[in-house]
Amino acid sequence: MMLLPYLIIIPLFGAFSMPIVNLAGRKIREAWAILISGATLAVGSWVFYWVYENGTILYTLGAKSPLGQGVNFPIRIVWEVDLFSALMVLMVAFVSFMAVIYSLGYMKHDTGLDKYYTLILILELGMLGIAITGDLFNFYVFLEIMSIASYALVAFRNDTWEGIEAGIKYMFVGSIASSLILLGIALLYGEYGTLTMGYLALKLSQNPTVVGKVALALFIAGLLFKSGASPVHMWLADAHPAAPSSISAMLSGLVIKIGGLYALARIAFSIYGASVSMRTVGWIIIFFACITLIVGNAMAVIQTDMKRLLAYSSVGQVGYILLGIGIGLAAYGSQTGEVALAGAIYHTFNHALMKGLLFLIAGAVIHQLGTRNLNELSGLAKTMPKTTFAFLIGAAAIIGMPPLNGFASKWLIYESSALFNPILGAIAIIGTAFCTAAYVRVFYTFFGRPSERVMKAKDPEKSMLWPMLILTVAIIAMGLFPWQISDKVMIPAAKALENQLAYITTLMGGG
Amino acid sequence: MIQFQFITAFLLVVLGIYAFLAKNNLLKLILALDIIDSGIHLLLISLGYRIELNEIPTAPIYTGYETLKSPMVGPLPQALVLTSIVIGVCVLALAVALTVNAYRHYGTLDVRALRRLRG
Repeated sequence: MMLLPYLIIIPLFGAFSMPIVNLAGRKIREAWAILISGATLAVGSWVFYWVYENGTILYTLGAKSPLGQGVNFPIRIVWEVDLFSALMVLMVAFVSFMAVIYSLGYMKHDTGLDKYYTLILILELGMLGIAITGDLFNFYVFLEIMSIASYALVAFRNDTWEGIEAGIKYMFVGSIASSLILLGIALLYGEYGTLTMGYLALKLSQNPTVVGKVALALFIAGLLFKSGASPVHMWLADAHPAAPSSISAMLSGLVIKIGGLYALARIAFSIYGASVSMRTVGWIIIFFACITLIVGNAMAVIQTDMKRLLAYSSVGQVGYILLGIGIGLAAYGSQTGEVALAGAIYHTFNHALMKGLLFLIAGAVIHQLGTRNLNELSGLAKTMPKTTFAFLIGAAAIIGMPPLNGFASKWLIYESSALFNPILGAIAIIGTAFCTAAYVRVFYTFFGRPSERVMKAKDPEKSMLWPMLILTVAIIAMGLFPWQISDKVMIPAAKALENQLAYITTLMGGG
Repeated sequence: MIQFQFITAFLLVVLGIYAFLAKNNLLKLILALDIIDSGIHLLLISLGYRIELNEIPTAPIYTGYETLKSPMVGPLPQALVLTSIVIGVCVLALAVALTVNAYRHYGTLDVRALRRLRG
């Protein structure tokens, strides 16, 4: 049985039935939100397991085969899920489920919660759609579904000026980026007359034209905007702290990855793989990656606002992932490129867990103390021990301490960048030095002398504590088997992404 | 043969980007976004209408196409543009709603006033 469509159907149904379910009261609404996102996680896990065991899924909407009647080219919308996509599906479903559970306690005092849960499920749906789609326009539609939901969620608390200002900035930048991507799609359609990614790749490799390259430039520009790469990261540092913390966790952990980095990797490898100079494209991405890496991590050091520090740290980590993708492109076909790409995919997954956890912790602190100014938070370790422990694990993982999951992924990126070009390796290490400085400062605050304000704080309630603990356990558990995960999942995922021919033959073979 | 709709589409996109960079009123920025979108929509819809070998294409209505001599207009871009217009309306509605809220908090529509977040 093919469960793939239910990945979209379940959250879509759940989201739009939410206003009706809401009439039955608060408890039913919360149970419904958990049920829907839990079911999505179950389907997502099934998709990952299936793809891991049986290889790429090709699903055609409305027919058995994507090929048209009597013609030998695809005319229908297809969804194509390879191991890389399946991994992203698992990541999105898992972190979203945690964010929904966390929302029960965290959003308790807000109003309009039926709209909140509707939007959070639509956000999840948009991200899942981007991960599974094999059609460019379908990709654009899901990208916009995701973006509109996230603009609305950033500005969800519209009684504060902060959310509104951040929402407006995010919306303008995001809309311009979406317009660039749509322009790229229009140019590609005009030149090649198809929107199916695999067939487009075939047409492009037969006849690479200037228009195709212009479209690639538009895609890269738009997706770098969306992923918050420097020098256009300013919206990210405003939008992610202003959102409610459960949403910050999803924005920082998932949205910038799926809407920016995943799409960039998919378009660069699966569509343009054989038809442009991979070396040039790779070096362009590496250039932006190095700026992002240094700027993001360095700016994190000087922040006094805890969530803003985490947001800048996200910019820095996006730099690492971009570096991995860039080296994967520039050293395409070599062992180094494959390791770099595996490192990028691994770090994407790890960073979703780590930054999700850290933002949930920031939310717990705000919920208890009503402030996120680091100068007022000293001594939290005494009164919020479990939260502090989770923070310790999350921060150690994001710095890249050996027994935790961040170490393995960062190591793969360091190793491959040093092999590819020692200067890049040095830049990556400098970035980590800044990152360490930023988090050590927060440690000192947490373990410092307790201030009066902190004495009244206590660990948050169960619905907020459990997601934090589950994410902590996931980080520790993944840290215990770093190389097994790398060999069994990440390297095959990188191979699946690199192998453009398989992507095309899966489509043209009819599935 | 020059197709003037491409030039118009290009001019609309450039005009929109200019307005987006030069104007400071939030409502004008929203209009600029919409103009960029319109330009792209015009480009997309005119991609379906190609005059090849001097044959004027007809509307894509699939009854009696066996006897049709001239080529048909591509129906796909029309579906795409319809979808894209709906998405554009959503963004527009959200943008206007946020602008109303911004006016409540800041008392002005000048985008230069929206600079309280920094660091």
